[in-house]
Amino acid sequence: MEIFDGLLHGFSVALTPGNLLWCFVGCFLGTVVGVLPGLGPAATIAMLLPLTFQMPPTSAMIMLAGIYYGAKYGGSTTAILLNVPGESASVVTCIDGYQMARRGRAGAALGIAAIASFIAGSVGVIALMLVAPPLAKLALSFSSPEYFALMVLGLAMVVLLAGTSLVKALLAMLLGLWIASIGTDEFTAVSRFTFGNSQLLDGIDFVIVAIGVFAVGEVIANMERREGAEVLPVPKGLRNLLPTWEELKACRFAFLNGSVIGFLIGILPGAGSTIASFISYGVEKAFSKHPEKFGTGVPEGVAAPEGANNSETGGALVPMLTLGIPGSSTTAILLAALVLWGLKPGPLMIQDNPSLFWGLVASMYVGNVMLLILNIPLIPLFAQILRLPVYLLYPFILGISMVGVYSVSGSLFDMWMLAAFSLLGYLMRRLDYPAAPLILGLVLGDSMERALRQSLMMSQGDLAILVSRPISAVMLCLAALVLLLPLFRQANAWRVKAIEENG
Amino acid sequence: MLKNATVMAVAAAAALLSGPAAAEFKPTKPIEVIVHTGPGGGADVLGREIATLIDKEKLAPVRLQIVNKTGGGGLTAMAYVVEKKGDDHTIALFTGNWLTNPLIRKEAKVTIKDMTPIARLVLEPAVVAVKADAPFKTLKDFIEAAKKEPGKLKQSGGSLTSRDNVVRQLLMKDTGANWAFISFPGGGERIAALLGGHVNMMIIEPQEAGEHIRAGNLRVLAQVSDHRLPGFENVPTLKEAGYDVPNVPQVRGVVAPPGISKDAQAYYENLFARMVQTAGWKKYLKDNQFQDGFQKSGELAKFFDEYSERMRGILKEAGVQVVR
Amino acid sequence: MRSADIWSGAVLAALGSYVVAEAMHWEYLGADGPGPGFFPFWYGAALIALALGLVVAAFMKGRAGEGGKPVQWNEVGRALAVCGAFAISAALLHALGFLLSFALLTAFIVCVMYGRPLKTGIAAGVLGAAAFYVVFPVALEVSLPVGMLGF
Repeated sequence: MEIFDGLLHGFSVALTPGNLLWCFVGCFLGTVVGVLPGLGPAATIAMLLPLTFQMPPTSAMIMLAGIYYGAKYGGSTTAILLNVPGESASVVTCIDGYQMARRGRAGAALGIAAIASFIAGSVGVIALMLVAPPLAKLALSFSSPEYFALMVLGLAMVVLLAGTSLVKALLAMLLGLWIASIGTDEFTAVSRFTFGNSQLLDGIDFVIVAIGVFAVGEVIANMERREGAEVLPVPKGLRNLLPTWEELKACRFAFLNGSVIGFLIGILPGAGSTIASFISYGVEKAFSKHPEKFGTGVPEGVAAPEGANNSETGGALVPMLTLGIPGSSTTAILLAALVLWGLKPGPLMIQDNPSLFWGLVASMYVGNVMLLILNIPLIPLFAQILRLPVYLLYPFILGISMVGVYSVSGSLFDMWMLAAFSLLGYLMRRLDYPAAPLILGLVLGDSMERALRQSLMMSQGDLAILVSRPISAVMLCLAALVLLLPLFRQANAWRVKAIEENG
Repeated sequence: MLKNATVMAVAAAAALLSGPAAAEFKPTKPIEVIVHTGPGGGADVLGREIATLIDKEKLAPVRLQIVNKTGGGGLTAMAYVVEKKGDDHTIALFTGNWLTNPLIRKEAKVTIKDMTPIARLVLEPAVVAVKADAPFKTLKDFIEAAKKEPGKLKQSGGSLTSRDNVVRQLLMKDTGANWAFISFPGGGERIAALLGGHVNMMIIEPQEAGEHIRAGNLRVLAQVSDHRLPGFENVPTLKEAGYDVPNVPQVRGVVAPPGISKDAQAYYENLFARMVQTAGWKKYLKDNQFQDGFQKSGELAKFFDEYSERMRGILKEAGVQVVR
Repeated sequence: MRSADIWSGAVLAALGSYVVAEAMHWEYLGADGPGPGFFPFWYGAALIALALGLVVAAFMKGRAGEGGKPVQWNEVGRALAVCGAFAISAALLHALGFLLSFALLTAFIVCVMYGRPLKTGIAAGVLGAAAFYVVFPVALEVSLPVGMLGF
């Protein structure tokens, strides 16, 4: 069987001592990069490019890919412990992960994140190996109308993130949509809401909003009281530092959900791991027996998004390796690396360079195992950070936030924006506005608007294009269903109440 | 005596013409190369290639360091370059965007004329590509089809001021045809739209198209270039196909902050003049199918004026508001 | 809490009105499809509608006597003080550099917010700054903002 041969060949490449070392280096660096907010895998890969010229391309690719998926493992660490999203996709992990940490289950959360990442990462590699070319063709049939439907489905998730007040959640989402539209409109080159400031022309970076609203906003809110500022509970003993069997069992569906959704969304060029995480979280909550507990610290709320953002790497490599099309900034620089090494990414690359493809696939199996082994012992170590008394921990979070934002752009203006968004985050907490819908609106708003306008340009103004194509029609129906869920629930609640009153 | 004077005059002329004796400027710390894209973007990749090449061939005593200043469609990087006034150890890679963007953006505080020109390096040609199973065998087929149903055919490309759209505007004006332009921010999405059959045509860089052509997915109708590119010997250029539109290359080169010393400017000019002579650079051009567009600072300054003027005209025709 | 809802609702309604007003300046529906004014118009309108809905609901609840928790202004004051300190240290980044700004911010938080003695505050600030220095510029070669004093 061709695939089996290819895989065997791949392992023979990946398991050489040299490549094992490079795989380890990549995974380790990736984890470090993922833990640090702001510094992303794309920038790290770019920095290391000159060093790779001395290496054979396969080894270099193994290392750089290690950084790419390793970063996804690391991103959850600061999200869970400090409410600081290490990477944009980790924002969703903050929601339940940080709450688990506050209740003393930090170790369990980190463990679940690692395990979910491992399962999903492996599923992603397997899928990449088995179904890459046909899925790539499927991905091509996705265009603007389908993207629009996907974004609508994503935004419909706000209903599931709402918590107590749907109105406030919707308002937060609309605010996010507004922030997303700050900048240059790319179709007409008109600047929107930039107040004449050239630094706003490209919009406000997601990282600044996420770190400001989540991390710094939370710290400021916590500083309201001096008394409540003791050390957060850090459980002792290995048993308490790792997830229990019940918790793992509860996550069965989440592991599957994260893996599948992440991979499928990863294949679409342009749809990112953040969307994958949100949708996976939303789906998990929709199918859960106790949806109201989401947001207070349930393990599935960590497993689903973490899995999604890991299998998304496998998915994103599909168009990159089979068509030479980059799906994200990290895959863009990986492609650039391939070009710089003299390879020609495109439909024929796998054919022309089977060692590279299979060696990479095999090394991803190995890498996922390495990362699991690397991360599990680190959990007790990382959890100790929570031992710091809060008057030291909080300044530390503030410092990390500043460095994280600064490393993105190095501009003072962005630091001001960070301070402004931290004030917003604090106000939102005080006034009971949920933060996740804001992030959702911010991430999806731009893409959704763009997809809608592109679709209408394609159809010359005919809205029917959105429902006449099968994939987008299906997704829009799903979105409608999700939006009607609260109505069903409310109707059901009334029905139950009526029965109780009559009985 | 006349002979002596002549000899002396010739000797003096020879001494003058042999150039300044060892330029007084030598860099003493790493040179910052400002690029306006993030890692992996076009300017970034070119910058890294240049840095690697100069390092390998030992053309400079220090290394070149890429500094990414993204934002504002290039305006952030441009503003940063001008802020570095007088710094002899900073240079920047400009692209056509640096010339066009300030023309339409009120927010732009600086233009390329505020900077010191150093050298123009490459001209990136492009090709007009359609899906391999499309009914268009030549560019004429496409244009005729567009004329029959105005606005129905679609082209995927970058922003409104990008080269793709400029070529489209020029062709539409020249032929009276009309087809839609759909902006996609990422190169990947543009190609995906074409391969997926959601748009009909795309103006794409030859090396991006190369692999898809080899795989049989795409067909090239014409080239946006002055001469036929290697590998595309059977494809007519726009002029050869009968369309009298100026060739609009994507242009990249080097500038420096205002107020640097004349010696530093001469040094960098010389550095890049030597770089474009190396075999490594020639191979890079060939592999990427770039055209050598080397110009020194004098010609470059004139080029800036010409290009800006032309772009003003094109943008106004396309209905975009020009502010300077 | 009710009056807070009324205020926040009012602010959001105002924002929505601003967005809609700006959107009117731009093209709503162009030749090629929706223009830059299309989306802002609609989400601006939604902002106004929902925000006013919130205000009305809060009003009615207020009249029905459902009071919320009273606002603890001293708590809010503490939070705003920290926010202000954070903003100031961000502003000082280019003047003082990261290490010094961070040390000052830490000292402020330890001493003023948590009432620990000045010595602890300074020690925490210095140690924290040193830790950042070791990890970022030295180990990872990520440059931190450098101020006029050169570090």
